[in-house]
Amino acid sequence: MAKEMFLAGCSAAAYGAALARVEVITSFPIRPYTGIMMELSKLVANGELDAEFVHGEGEHAQVAIAYGAAAAGARAYTGSSGVGVTYAMECYSPASGGRLPCQMAIADRALDPPGDFGSEHTDVMSCRDQGWIMGWAETPQEVLDNTIIYYRIGEDPRVLLPQFCCQDGYFVSHIPGKVVMPEQSQVDEFLPPYKHPHALDPTKPISHGPQIYPDQGPAINLQRAQAFLDTPAVIEEVIEDFNKIFGRDYKPFLDEYRTDDADFVFFIQGGHARTARFAVNHLREKGVKAGMVKLRFVRPFPTEAVAETLSKFKAVGCVENSTSYGGAMKGGNLIHEVRSALYDVDNPPAVTSFMSGLGGEVVSLEEFYSMAKVLAEAAKTGKVEQYVYWVGFDKGV
Amino acid sequence: MAKAVETQNLERVKSVRRVPQEEYYVPGHRTCQGCGPALCYKLVSKATGPDSIFLGPTGCMYVANTSYLCSPFAYPWMHTQITNAGAVASGVEAAYQVLIRKGKYKGKLPNIVVMGGDGGSIDIGLQAMSGMMYRGHDALFIMYDNESYANTGIQTSPMSPYGANTTFTPPGKAIPEGKVLFPKDAPQMVIGGHPAVKYVATASLAYPVDLINKVRKGLNVVGPTFIHIHCPCPKGWLFDADKTIEVAKLAIETGMWVNYEWEEGEYTYQHTPKEYTPVKEYMKTQERFSHLTDEHIAKMQAFIDAKLKAPGKPVPLPVTSPRESV
Ligand SMILES: Cc1ncc(C[n+]2csc(CCOP(=O)(O)OP(=O)(O)O)c2C)c(N)n1
Ligand code: SF4
Ligand SMILES: [Mg+2]
Repeated sequence: MAKEMFLAGCSAAAYGAALARVEVITSFPIRPYTGIMMELSKLVANGELDAEFVHGEGEHAQVAIAYGAAAAGARAYTGSSGVGVTYAMECYSPASGGRLPCQMAIADRALDPPGDFGSEHTDVMSCRDQGWIMGWAETPQEVLDNTIIYYRIGEDPRVLLPQFCCQDGYFVSHIPGKVVMPEQSQVDEFLPPYKHPHALDPTKPISHGPQIYPDQGPAINLQRAQAFLDTPAVIEEVIEDFNKIFGRDYKPFLDEYRTDDADFVFFIQGGHARTARFAVNHLREKGVKAGMVKLRFVRPFPTEAVAETLSKFKAVGCVENSTSYGGAMKGGNLIHEVRSALYDVDNPPAVTSFMSGLGGEVVSLEEFYSMAKVLAEAAKTGKVEQYVYWVGFDKGV
Repeated sequence: MAKAVETQNLERVKSVRRVPQEEYYVPGHRTCQGCGPALCYKLVSKATGPDSIFLGPTGCMYVANTSYLCSPFAYPWMHTQITNAGAVASGVEAAYQVLIRKGKYKGKLPNIVVMGGDGGSIDIGLQAMSGMMYRGHDALFIMYDNESYANTGIQTSPMSPYGANTTFTPPGKAIPEGKVLFPKDAPQMVIGGHPAVKYVATASLAYPVDLINKVRKGLNVVGPTFIHIHCPCPKGWLFDADKTIEVAKLAIETGMWVNYEWEEGEYTYQHTPKEYTPVKEYMKTQERFSHLTDEHIAKMQAFIDAKLKAPGKPVPLPVTSPRESV
């Protein structure tokens, strides 16, 4: 009988990392992800986890230490939140371009100003073009599972990419939920020991990251892009294997909730999906044909799955929790990806977006209901009035 | 950090004839003729041998050394950002500690060496270097000092001497001396605030055997070590490519550069001249100082005089700095 625990997302991430037998851990304090490192430091201090615990002198160093360790052949783990995530920006591309599959746990936090502890996806969403695998968990259980799953995907020789393993600050990182703890033997069966094919090893000298001439750039960048093209197939394989070994029922890319006959859906990632499920239930009770589609990976973005799935509906509302100031859709980020994915579809749904929960504000049931009103109208007319609605501020929401 | 792993024990080299013949920094790079940092790389590589991992932050010794599909390094080498060499080295060292402990790597802890420029060590790379020194990683941080941000076209760095004409400190009517500030004291910054550090040294290309032995000593020490190496740069300092060693030697003779070791609180000095030559003689060799007036040179001499008598640095007295020739 598998052990059940009551854990918040931070602890779940820490246990996931410990089960993954991480070998080099590197920390720097910032709320809310700090809890992950507090938990891991205890495991190391008590001798329950044999790992080097390196106190980085900042997030920039954390990521550098992590990819240095990954280059030397150790499974490396780090994490951050908010301004910590953006402080390390320089180090992300060297890690992915170097094909060094370390993992960084993210518990989101709004960027400054104003100083704010609340959760918002803008921190790591603004790093989405750095070549890291990236996706959100909705529950502590998913946090723990993703931590293990991401290592397996990232370390696959067809992939070799670092991973942002994300959870919403507080909503997931600090609210306990039931977690079924895997057995160590299951994890060992699922996740083989880390072995980098080109580790820094004096017995096999190689040079990593030399200067190139511009004409060598396209081919090298294509390799990183190709890795992302190859990753979806690996994800499908890995999720299938995970479900088999751990008895779970994850979909690789999109988790659909009550979508069978839905007129419109909320398209969402992360912890607010939990509220969206309740909102859908209540709307259904009132006869409104609402559903939800939860995105599990934003990098690689599952273009085909999104096109196929969302084209079943009349309207789609991207629930945004990050900003792209001055962007084409005048607000968030997900809508850019969704509209692009749907461009070649016949009779695409009407797609709009909702800015909500910025700064860590709760996205309440009432907010989902007002989004539903906009979406129901769009489903009826087949048109959207606005690309973005700032929920609570714009007319109609 | 547990230090149970087997570490290196490199032999002292007795004379230049005993320096290893083998090259681990091989031809194929694109550094300038007479490049001091390249010669430094060659000597350091002879000292470390092949059981080593080098980390190279962005700078001349990255850009001019490596070109894709052609690398002069016969040991594993990895580029780091100019900002994070100390951190990447920390990660590599931590990885080897745990891999050796778990039996996943059979062998001694490799020599882990950072070759950082002055910018990558003591300015934009300062935080990462200090982090590595503080945490006690078993790695050697070498600061090859060409006294400028050379690779980007010789801009001022905190190591550029007072009065240097760099592309960011051109002398002009309003600022006749070019660079106005005096340099940082890099080894003192390491010594002064990093309790895990047991060995710090300075070295000069003019004394290669001494340089090699300091590198080996640094590597044999368990824990972080730091060596500051004076590396004349013909392109940046504006002297002829065949004068690199002469310039290095003159730096020592004028007190512009002091070779010393610091071991757990004890200083020892090497190559101290019996009598210091006026700094003007050194400055004359380099066009980067050619705009300076006697007044500026006197200021430089005063700085050197003060430095040679700095507290914590016992200098054989009397210090003779004949200023009359200035
Ligand atoms: C974050 C960052 N800022 C600026 C640069 C541009 N840059 C490349 S090489 C270099 C000079 C490095 O100077 P130093 O560390 O002294 O090494 P040197 O080139 O003198 O050998 C600079 C500033 C960079 N690569 N990265
Ligand atoms: S600019 Fe100076 S340091 Fe750079 S390669 Fe040329 S001589 Fe060497
Ligand atoms: Mg320099």
